[in-house]
Amino acid sequence: MINRKFIAGIIVFGSLWGFAECIIGSYLHDVNLPAGAIMTGVFAIGLLTLSRTTFRQPGMQTGIGLVAGALRLFNPFGGCFICSAIAIMAEGLLFDLIWTGFSLDRKKTHSLTIQASLGITSAYLVYVGGYIITQILTPVFSSAGFYTENLIVFIPQILASGLLAAVLGVATVPTVFSLKKLNIIIQDRLYYPVTIGVSSFCWIFVIVNTILILWL
Amino acid sequence: MGKDRLLPIFALFMLLIASASSLYVYASQTTTETLFINGQHYTIDQLFFLTRSRIFNDNDSVGIALDDLMLKTGVSSPEQHTYTLKGVDGYEKTVTWENMKNGLLTKDRESIFSDLPKAFFVKDIIEIEVK
Repeated sequence: MINRKFIAGIIVFGSLWGFAECIIGSYLHDVNLPAGAIMTGVFAIGLLTLSRTTFRQPGMQTGIGLVAGALRLFNPFGGCFICSAIAIMAEGLLFDLIWTGFSLDRKKTHSLTIQASLGITSAYLVYVGGYIITQILTPVFSSAGFYTENLIVFIPQILASGLLAAVLGVATVPTVFSLKKLNIIIQDRLYYPVTIGVSSFCWIFVIVNTILILWL
Repeated sequence: MGKDRLLPIFALFMLLIASASSLYVYASQTTTETLFINGQHYTIDQLFFLTRSRIFNDNDSVGIALDDLMLKTGVSSPEQHTYTLKGVDGYEKTVTWENMKNGLLTKDRESIFSDLPKAFFVKDIIEIEVK
């Protein structure tokens, strides 16, 4: 039987991430800040860590990435939105693989060192991995095609640009674990209204924002 | 020993890779005011003088036609080649002649294509390699 709470969780976390990428990410890009690294190091890693520590279900973050990436496709502003959507989808999958690979679901609590290390490792690998995957897939889906040498010569820049995401991840993951200690729980009767309401708000806001920008 | 105990080692390794890459990128930065195209150096003003202009109305982009640029710089049988646009930061993208027919080069030395995603918009171009 499909766990409806799990599905609703995927949709609400994915919608929040997609909303942040579309609205905050586009703004950061427009003011020439390193939007990709900031969005991954703070919002992506924060929401993915919160969802994983709450539900403890492998596969959930892949689904969250798919929902967020789909929402990003509705906002064709702020840099290459196709690249961004592909990167977001890849980042969800990579986070899932890292968390599962290090068997982090076994313990409910982790030392501060492990939390900070998780922040660095997951933010860096998720950002760099997502960047590399989008550099491969975006040309593949275009009429120009993919050329390996284009990627290889740019690898040092990609590896360097992940440093900011890693540094932000050091603070993000321990912050999420600290927030979890507050034990904020949504009552069962409010769970679906809240998740549906938040998800709907994110999608409607992004779509209306896109329509307004295109018309004005 | 749990796998999570390996995380601090991985984290240090990631920071080392990122820091070393940043140093490498910083040390290998170059600046140039010219573009190297088909074996010749040109200033952007020379290229704008040589080549016919192109405008994309949908995103208000103005520049010179990349296909005409290749012809004016002496590329023969242009449809038989691919073209690698290289930015000052090492970013590069290879495109076909069909893409060049839908592309322009701005005064800021950025490539813009009407038929390709923004990932192909290379900034601060220093070379267009004909292959």
